[in-house]
Amino acid sequence: MTTSLSGGAGSLISLTGVSKRFPNGTLALDNVSMTVPTGQLLSLIGLSGSGKSTLMRHLNGLHKPTAGTVHVMGVEVSSASNRALRGVRRNVGFVFQQFGLVGRATCLENVLSGALGRLRGPRYGVISYPRSLRREAFDHLERVGLAPQAYQRADTLSGGQMQRVAIARTLMQRPQLLLADEPVASLDPESSHQVLELLLRVATEENMTVIVTLHQVELALGWAHRIVGLRDGRVVLDRDARGLTQDDVMEVYQRVDRESNLASGAPNTVAAVTDHVKV
Amino acid sequence: MSGAHVEAFSRSTPKRLPRAPRKWQSWALLAVFVAYVGGTVWSWRYINMTLSTLFGGFTELWNLVTYMLPPRFDRIREVLDATLETIWMALIGTTASVLLSVPLAFLAARNTTPNPVTFAASRAIITLSRAVPTLVIAAVLTLPLGIGPLAGILALAIHSIGMIGKLFTEAIENTESMSREAVTSTGAGKWQTVLTTIVPQITPSWIGTSLYRLDINLRESAVLGFVGAGGVGFVIQTTLRSLDYQRAIAAVSVIFAVITLIEVVSTRLRTSIIGDHLSTPTTKNARTEARERRDQRLIIDAVTTRRLTPPWTYERIVRTSAALIFLALIVISFVTIDMPLLSAFGLIDEIGESVGRLFPPDFTTAGPELWQGIRETVAIGFIATTLGLLLSIPLGILSARNIVVKRAVFGTTRLFLLGLRGLPELIVAVLFVAAMGLGPVPGTLALTLGTATFMAKLIGDALEEVSPVPREAVFATGATGVQEFFTSVVPQALPNLVSQTLYMLDVNLRSSTVLGIIGGGGIGFLLLSALRVLQEPTVGAIIIVIFVIVYAIELVGSFVRWLVE
Repeated sequence: MTTSLSGGAGSLISLTGVSKRFPNGTLALDNVSMTVPTGQLLSLIGLSGSGKSTLMRHLNGLHKPTAGTVHVMGVEVSSASNRALRGVRRNVGFVFQQFGLVGRATCLENVLSGALGRLRGPRYGVISYPRSLRREAFDHLERVGLAPQAYQRADTLSGGQMQRVAIARTLMQRPQLLLADEPVASLDPESSHQVLELLLRVATEENMTVIVTLHQVELALGWAHRIVGLRDGRVVLDRDARGLTQDDVMEVYQRVDRESNLASGAPNTVAAVTDHVKV
Repeated sequence: MSGAHVEAFSRSTPKRLPRAPRKWQSWALLAVFVAYVGGTVWSWRYINMTLSTLFGGFTELWNLVTYMLPPRFDRIREVLDATLETIWMALIGTTASVLLSVPLAFLAARNTTPNPVTFAASRAIITLSRAVPTLVIAAVLTLPLGIGPLAGILALAIHSIGMIGKLFTEAIENTESMSREAVTSTGAGKWQTVLTTIVPQITPSWIGTSLYRLDINLRESAVLGFVGAGGVGFVIQTTLRSLDYQRAIAAVSVIFAVITLIEVVSTRLRTSIIGDHLSTPTTKNARTEARERRDQRLIIDAVTTRRLTPPWTYERIVRTSAALIFLALIVISFVTIDMPLLSAFGLIDEIGESVGRLFPPDFTTAGPELWQGIRETVAIGFIATTLGLLLSIPLGILSARNIVVKRAVFGTTRLFLLGLRGLPELIVAVLFVAAMGLGPVPGTLALTLGTATFMAKLIGDALEEVSPVPREAVFATGATGVQEFFTSVVPQALPNLVSQTLYMLDVNLRSSTVLGIIGGGGIGFLLLSALRVLQEPTVGAIIIVIFVIVYAIELVGSFVRWLVE
């Protein structure tokens, strides 16, 4: 896996020996190497604090590695200039657990902000964007089923609706790669299913390469081509999703569970983990 | 000093510090308290305040009132013109200050500053501009700019940066960062992201701050005329000088009415802007319901026809018309005001030159007077705070509707306080000087009155917020009204009272640095005389002294607030 070099043919992402130590001393990523080919649907699993979010944030340059290199679409993200970095980000959609919408702005305006990377100069308010983009933003809202809410403030929506607006904003970027960091973790089970289904449907329709971190292992197994498990910043599982059983996946969690049981002697960690991993 | 105050203070100490044994902090608080009492006693003796001067002052005031009544409105045209000029000055000064504060705030906010150097520099500018009072800046600026509103406007613009810049910066720092991370991730540039994610979050707070400062600046610009920097203050001063008391009171009542009116309007605007439409109360009248139905219809129409411009909902209409009205007012003010606008830019060199002449500051020529001025300034601040506090306690209690149950009593007290607060302290002071002659006593009395009305409002409000539960419990034991008041109400309201007293001391020391400009005692008098004879290095020295006094109080104040918390 570590053999592939800077964005070799067919591989959209390649990480080589990536480590990240935060200023407070935590080692969040420990010598991670992997490549992701174009068109793959990859699911990252692991407990909270295992390094999933940190890994995702390295892929669009929100974090810089302490050691190692990150190549995305042929650009060395870790040492890229601001300009090159913006170029990469424009092609990488990012869906966050907390949606990242501007509450006081309308849904349409939030979707339009996904086009900022294509525009020069700052914008304020719907009418500061070109009409063609406004039309496009309406289309994307329609696609996520929220066109009727176009002129409503984002903070009047439910969590599931907010995440759909965030997906529409990502579509506005027309990205090749979609990163989704716990996209449904803040939602109730019903809207979780709807939002995840929507996310994956539009991603496959647009031929995006997708990396999603998920708590719900069942969901991950259902659609992913490949499952990567992280523990304490290290890759502990990396397999084709076909033929992977629930038990194989649970290993990623349970081994940690045994260790932490030994370490802390906490009696109810098993319950916590099974609650955590909704099966 | 009040025994009750002492006792209450020490009783509150263990309650304020319930956590760990923080021994030295309690000693420090005690030391501050002793210093405060000592300061007051020293000040009382320094100014030679006696109860007879106090009450003598009030009889002279009564004489003045009889001279002033009835007010003569025959030259009302002149007064109205000057009042309009006052309003335009406040408007332009505040707008200019807002425009200057916007970039400063983005450079000074931790989450938007580009680098540590601009961060430190912009913070320093914001802090420094607050430390020299508006009237002092205006007085100095009249040297290069001459008599007229330009000096006043510039002074307002510069001094207001201190408050506006600080609050703007805090608003930026209080924004959430998730939307920012998200929009950065779409490939947007830094300033694109800031405008898209931060600006919508801070607009309500920024507008609230600006309106609040406009209120303050209107009061400030009403007195700028005392140093020839434009506005109605000049009319008040000249009529008083020529002993034309009836016309003076006419001018005072006009500006009083304008200040009160604008305060009411701006308070309503502020609550409607900051009170988000999401948090509006559930009780709706027929009109708001109809309005909401109309908005809903407009939004549905807009999305079904896929309108590419936002529909004209009530909120958008209000926002747009407010912006248009504001722009119109600015244009009108620039057209109306008698000010050499374009040549103002040519005057930048002259301003620089006159500021340059203040340096190096000369502390020796006016040495003994300077020292005396400092002491008098501090003494006025202490006496005004203590006397004001003593006066405010009965007034505050009388105005609290949960303590005094008779509507007539708290109603009249509230109205009386509201009326007194409508007048800027310096206008009160100039009237007192007219009645009692030059010196520290009239100035002290004016500040005392200002403190009393302000504190009475705070005490009244604090008392009304006191929890009713312990009160019922104490009543249930068969206690009398007075007993109940001391056992359950006082302890609940006390901590707030302590920190407000310190805040008032801070405000009063600032005010007393400028009282002398209108003959009310303190270092300001020296400033004005040095300006008149063009002793610029002495002026520089005095400004530095004022700066040091104000800055020292601010440091002590924040230290004590930290102790009390």
